[in-house]
Amino acid sequence: MSSVVQVAPPRAKLASLPIEQNRGIHAMWCLIATEAMLFACMFAAYYYLGNNKDRWAHESAPELSFPFILLAILLSSSAILFFGEKQVKKANYTAGRIAVWITILFGLVFLCLQGYEYYSEWMTTAPYNDSYTSAFYAITMLHGAHVCVGVLLLFYLGIMPRYGETLRTPHRPYTTLAMYWHFVDAVWIFIVALLYVIPNIQRLHHHVL
Amino acid sequence: MSEAALEQRLTELWEGKKGLYGFLATVDHKKLGIRYLVTAFTLMLIGGVEALVMRIQLAEPSLRVLSPEAYNQFFSMHGITMVWWYASPILSGFGIFIIPLMIGARDLAFPRLNAFTYWTYLLSAILLYIAPLMGQAPHAGWFAYAPYTLTKYSPGMGMDYYVVSLILLTISTTANAINFIITILRMRAPGMAISRMPLFLYSSLTVSVVVLFSLPSLSAALIFLELDRRYGTHFYAVADGGSTFLWQQLFWFFGHPWVYVIFLPATAIVSMIIPVFSRRPIVGYTYVAAATMLTGLVGFSVWLHHMFTVGMSNIAMSLFSAGSMTVSIFTTIQVFAWVATIWKGRPVATTAMYYAVGTIVLLVIGGLSGVFTGIIPVDWQAHNTYFVVAHIHYVLIGSNLFPVMAGFYYWGPKMTGKMMSERLGKWSFWIMFIGFNVGFFPMHILGLLGMPRRIFTYQAGLGFAGMNMLVTVGAFVLGFGVLLSILNLLISLRCGEEAGRNPWNSDGLEWESDSPPPPYGSVHIPVVVSRNPLWDDFDEEEDPENERVLDGGRWTPITSWLDAEPLAIATIPEDSLMPLWAALAVYGFFQAMVVQLIWVAAGMLVATLLFGIWWMWPRTKEEIVPKTEEEAA
Repeated sequence: MSSVVQVAPPRAKLASLPIEQNRGIHAMWCLIATEAMLFACMFAAYYYLGNNKDRWAHESAPELSFPFILLAILLSSSAILFFGEKQVKKANYTAGRIAVWITILFGLVFLCLQGYEYYSEWMTTAPYNDSYTSAFYAITMLHGAHVCVGVLLLFYLGIMPRYGETLRTPHRPYTTLAMYWHFVDAVWIFIVALLYVIPNIQRLHHHVL
Repeated sequence: MSEAALEQRLTELWEGKKGLYGFLATVDHKKLGIRYLVTAFTLMLIGGVEALVMRIQLAEPSLRVLSPEAYNQFFSMHGITMVWWYASPILSGFGIFIIPLMIGARDLAFPRLNAFTYWTYLLSAILLYIAPLMGQAPHAGWFAYAPYTLTKYSPGMGMDYYVVSLILLTISTTANAINFIITILRMRAPGMAISRMPLFLYSSLTVSVVVLFSLPSLSAALIFLELDRRYGTHFYAVADGGSTFLWQQLFWFFGHPWVYVIFLPATAIVSMIIPVFSRRPIVGYTYVAAATMLTGLVGFSVWLHHMFTVGMSNIAMSLFSAGSMTVSIFTTIQVFAWVATIWKGRPVATTAMYYAVGTIVLLVIGGLSGVFTGIIPVDWQAHNTYFVVAHIHYVLIGSNLFPVMAGFYYWGPKMTGKMMSERLGKWSFWIMFIGFNVGFFPMHILGLLGMPRRIFTYQAGLGFAGMNMLVTVGAFVLGFGVLLSILNLLISLRCGEEAGRNPWNSDGLEWESDSPPPPYGSVHIPVVVSRNPLWDDFDEEEDPENERVLDGGRWTPITSWLDAEPLAIATIPEDSLMPLWAALAVYGFFQAMVVQLIWVAAGMLVATLLFGIWWMWPRTKEEIVPKTEEEAA
């Protein structure tokens, strides 16, 4: 009934081990995986609906300049937050905190500019026009909601009293929340490519033909 | 320190407060696991009663027990409740209770998230059942095909409640999946390398990953549906450039993996029970583990087999038909492993074993009708008939309800500390088994005779009448069998025998602690050297210097994910009310959204944020790890 003992039992001295700091980061990877899948499903829906519809790209390809400005804002905010994370690892906490607040500022600027884009486009392309605008607004607004959440999380990071290694949760909040922010920025790269650039290429193609 | 002193010290550290505060604030996985099980089982009873009402309506031709609309609401609520609020949560409940004990950890990786998961699950069930209480239950089946679900055809709030309660449940399920993944990969006892993990952990890990990658598809579909219903977008309305198939694609991309989320942990319960009562390790451990993971993987490439009749290219249908056949290979591997284990072992006929063997029988029948419906021409014939109803119930009752009952009889003594009556248990098994087969086997024939699914009645003279009466009788017998087991549990709680540590002489670590387990699990963190720790001549006494007690705080070890070498100590948080408050705020958000109080919804979002901040707020300044002189330099 007993199976074979494979190796000698390890003599683990557990009490002297360091306090673990990485569970939150691992959980954040999982969250990012499932969120990435949510956006992937939405992109799939966008192309599924657009499949075999000529007028889709022909009439409705959005302006190209605006998303790149937004992209520049988000990418630089990610760079700043990355810099802040490096500073926190060097125990340079004040610099890290300033980086958080600058990132928040960039995030707010992004939201304002996106609001302006919606405002200026709404007359011609409102979400309830057809299935193209529905998908376009649903995806970009979902991303906007993620930016909102990101800003609120960074706000928490900005006001929390300490960043270093800790005995109790939350462990390494800076790295964990920075990961989320980088993810939200990466989604925007995909939005620019799939919802702005490719439809414009399709429109050019359409005109040439 | 003496053993008793250690026990007292650990109890002080791990025992939560008593009373109402303790009830609401607990993060103890054992309490939450039992709560999960009780809630899910209660919802199963509610769903079961809905099914019985439907069966009364269908017992004879042209009855008018239910109106057509009420019948639609009943079969929808039955499906929704069973598929989402019973079948998966009950397995989560087992996992939450048993996984930390099984791996020698003192709690899950995120105990407060676990509490949040439970509260959102409970509140989502309440949100779902508000709709029928208002007389506007969802009425489009659990799959809710567009465009029937759009406002034009489904006015009222039933479908809106469907959407919001499901999104809330999605949050809960995803959080639970993340909790399981980190717990299983990082918190196994030292030495429990991935090759020594109990098979239940393989399936829990697999379905947690599947949940992460499949549930977003449902969320996207639901968000689109709600936007269509409330905000005038055009995802599903064909006239405005939308596509009804978009719903089907998104829904079944989620829906078929979900079948395995319901199925795999339940088969893993069987894989845990059969070796114990065959008195030998399972045959083909590696193959069963691999088959489990491959089922989860291939589950992502079979979803079109729910749509063989919508009109697709032959190549797409052939590929998905082949994919569906592949799953039967993996399932067969498991079935043969079980049979071989019984064959080579010396089986003991306990109630849990009865249910496990019953599972094998029903799973084979359900699996075979699944192979039938996976073949395209047969599917075209059987589609939308009672044949498919028979198939889904053989698979879901056979490989979910029966394993769950087996799990209750097997782990029940660990949870309650009392033995259940074997005699009553076996009666319950036979009544359920016979009732189930009497009730559901005729559905195959009814389907082949051409009785469509989801009809509220049928005319006399079509040849359906007698068999439908038989089905109804069988369903009631099945229900009676379930009641017998509940009675058995209640009797055992009042006057059952004491279970002791290991009443079944099992091999898993969960049987090492007392029954019911103390709040800290076991005093010494176990060290594992084989797949069947308690069957080997190696136990706790080999910790004479208390090196594996970890009484410096609420501590539990973290190990490497492949070899389970000890790496660090995880600190486990104390009881907190914040998960409950956060769950209530999230619930408030969805409740406000469904009745369109936008400002209340916004307020609830802010409340969620504030509770979240309070939840994660660092408490004291002394928490920062002091740098050693070496690091500082």
